[in-house]
Amino acid sequence: MAQLARHDGARAGLLLAPAYLWLTVAVFLPLSAMLFFSFLSAAPFTSSDWHVTFANYTEFFRRSIYADLLGRSLMLAAIVTLLCVLIGYPCAYILARQVKGRAREALFLLIILPFWSNSLVRIFSWAIVLRGNGMIDHTLEAVLPFDVSVNLMFSFTAVVIGLVHSYLPYVILTSYLALQAIDESIIEAARSLGAPFRVILLRLVLPLSLPGLAAGAVLIFVPVAGSFMEPRILGGKHGTLYGTLIEDQFVAVFNWPLGAALSFILLGVVLVILALASPVLRKAR
Amino acid sequence: MKQRNTARLLTGRIYVGLVLFFLYAPILVMALMSFNASEFYAFPLSFTLGWYAKLANNAEIVSSAWRSLWIAIATTIIAASLGTAASLALFRYEFPGKRILQALLFPPIAIPWLIVGTAMLIFFFWVGIGRGTPAVILGHVALALPYVIVVVSARLQTFDRQLEEAARSLGASQWEVTRYVTLPWIASGVVAGALFAFAVSFDQFVVSYFLAEPGDATLPVIIYTAIRKGFTPEINAISTIIIVISMAVMLGASRFFKFGGER
Amino acid sequence: MAEVQVNGLTLDYGTSRALDGVSLVFPNGQLFGLLGPSGSGKTTLLRCIAGFVFPDAGTVMIGGEPVERVPVEKREIGMMFQSYALFPNMSVADNIGFGLKVRRVEAGDLKRRVSEALDLVQLAGLGGRKPHELSGGQRQRVALARAIVTRPRVLLLDEPLSALDKALRVEMQVELKRIQREVGITTIFVTHDQEEALTLSDQIGILRNGRLVQSGPPRELYHCPLDRFTASFLGDANFFSGTPEGPGLRLADGTLLPWPRGAAEPGTPVIAVRPEEMTVSARQQTADPGRCLIHGELRNVIFSGPTAVCVVAHGDQLCKILVKNSELGGIPAAGPVSVSWPAERSMLINQ
Repeated sequence: MAQLARHDGARAGLLLAPAYLWLTVAVFLPLSAMLFFSFLSAAPFTSSDWHVTFANYTEFFRRSIYADLLGRSLMLAAIVTLLCVLIGYPCAYILARQVKGRAREALFLLIILPFWSNSLVRIFSWAIVLRGNGMIDHTLEAVLPFDVSVNLMFSFTAVVIGLVHSYLPYVILTSYLALQAIDESIIEAARSLGAPFRVILLRLVLPLSLPGLAAGAVLIFVPVAGSFMEPRILGGKHGTLYGTLIEDQFVAVFNWPLGAALSFILLGVVLVILALASPVLRKAR
Repeated sequence: MKQRNTARLLTGRIYVGLVLFFLYAPILVMALMSFNASEFYAFPLSFTLGWYAKLANNAEIVSSAWRSLWIAIATTIIAASLGTAASLALFRYEFPGKRILQALLFPPIAIPWLIVGTAMLIFFFWVGIGRGTPAVILGHVALALPYVIVVVSARLQTFDRQLEEAARSLGASQWEVTRYVTLPWIASGVVAGALFAFAVSFDQFVVSYFLAEPGDATLPVIIYTAIRKGFTPEINAISTIIIVISMAVMLGASRFFKFGGER
Repeated sequence: MAEVQVNGLTLDYGTSRALDGVSLVFPNGQLFGLLGPSGSGKTTLLRCIAGFVFPDAGTVMIGGEPVERVPVEKREIGMMFQSYALFPNMSVADNIGFGLKVRRVEAGDLKRRVSEALDLVQLAGLGGRKPHELSGGQRQRVALARAIVTRPRVLLLDEPLSALDKALRVEMQVELKRIQREVGITTIFVTHDQEEALTLSDQIGILRNGRLVQSGPPRELYHCPLDRFTASFLGDANFFSGTPEGPGLRLADGTLLPWPRGAAEPGTPVIAVRPEEMTVSARQQTADPGRCLIHGELRNVIFSGPTAVCVVAHGDQLCKILVKNSELGGIPAAGPVSVSWPAERSMLINQ
């Protein structure tokens, strides 16, 4: 296309405008508004006496609880991501390289299906399973000779289990896509050169599928860092995290500017992590 | 060598089986319990449809379920139209800044929904849109758009550009080309994208949580508050229904879109 | 039906120049072939005439009207694509009728014209089939019918025969020519196959690196190429370079090749000769009157069906001579030979 004729440009604009206008109003403007908000002392529509201030941000550093909770959230995100990768990647590998044909599609679909159902409901289902006097107790009682009461509910562990369950399909999906795109003839060439399985895995398959794996990891880490629903339901008192803190600002305490500032701090951390991961991710193009 | 291979294959299948068990066990338990007469999940199990009956009488849940459905349908129609139009533009034309536009599709997916939801809340309140169904739809469409665009664009990749050129050489206007040549081909992609949009909206919790009117909430939000207050077994029933609907929708979508790539 | 004219067409793709000041006239009602190696700009030129790209400079006139800024859907052209580009979701009849449909032709009229078109390309009765149910040759005819049923002013063909196998290609060449004659439409086609260009065209234009090298009727281009590229791209040629010296060209080894009779001391440094004009014989000392003569070593005789190719080493170059099977008897098996040709058949090359 040596030259985009003027009427073509207009047409492209016409087709693109509605979608991007919508995104602007619904996503980009709100984010900008939130940024502005985070520098206010009070929400303009609740009190007429407001001014620009850094107070919300300095608040973060003033009381250690904020940084503590942020750290706790990030650690949770790291643990969940690690577990998902450790469980999910082998699963994706087996699906991509060892199962063939109809079975493969069917299995893949089965794994992806829960991913598309309501995450709230899935967490709730764990609440049922994990509570004291629940399924686990009954099953263990049936199997073990002595009385056991396992109450995992309202613990950090429960939160981890629930989050891993929710986000596992992400890493399986992205890893699977990357793994099945690897040209079979590369593997065959390596085998014909005498490479043992371990070497093929570590030197060829893993590096080639790394972008997919990294994409999945990022897709897990980022939302988990900001999660509040799962910690509340499964963690109870032990489920206080950075995300729940932000939620409180908006629905309980009604300190929106503080909530905005805290959100942006989280966003900043998330963007830094994305930036660090982007060299690896870019290869996924 | 063959022995090692079969052993490896077997371990592989067992592992996948375990993963599947992990993924489905709680869901199955919940479904099971929704048919269990005991209110406290005590054994032995006794079959009942009572909880589903009670569900039908719970006005709050039923009305929010309908609301979720209508919102999802509205989201689907809007997101599918806007998303398909945008995908067509990205496919047909080259222009400066195209890369940037494509990158701008990712924030809704990449940013934690907590931040997106609260940002929407702030902005909508400020601008006067406030909470409520229009706000929820605004939010849902924004979240669904990237998915629609990705799916339709993937389908467009398989479309032969020369077909559009041939139609133009025969005198068809851009709209006629789209209607008679392009859309028939990408129809399956549009349907798949629409189903994705439906699933995203119907299952959406975080954004709905912040944007919904306290009296007029969507179904997931109602469930959330109910859980926080304490268990009632009707929640099991409605949860089971929701999961079945979502899975059915995605099973439908899988006939139009290969999740695992076009292999 | 109209004459097409391009003037000073220039088009850049980023830093590379695809068309460089190309000017050509495509006469009304004729079959014009654009020939050239890949990257020569011939397809770009075709797409410029079609209207898929707008030139950076220059004009395109169809029937005397400047159209270089008119979009393709308004140019009233018909185009056949290399991959045929048949609409997979429509039947053959709907494909052919598509151009009429967007022109809002009335239904009865449309049906009649579609069936006439099917008759013209000898596919009557196949209107209900879908493209994937047809063979390659049939698909091509549908593409052709679709392009001409709207009675366009110009018909453009992009490598129309390249997707067909050899036997089908020859058959389609005849068909294409017949249909073009019958409809009488100005037709421009692009090809990299010089044989195809020679057989089909009323006129040929040779492009190289975005420039027009030479244009004219096939015979003229074949027998009177202006430069080395044209001589070797269109057909085969043997080249002899030396210094012009009075009545002929003096080669490095001392041989004098007389100019064609009647040529007024042209003074070009290169003479080219087509392999079929040359004869191989046992060594003879002097040339017959009116003929050029060179000496060489017969290296190889390559049998290729109806003819054979003799490879003769002359100095440090290899010459190719086309010999009929019946003449092989008079040629020694190997060793020193003479090659001669009528001086009239020497082609004078500028570079």
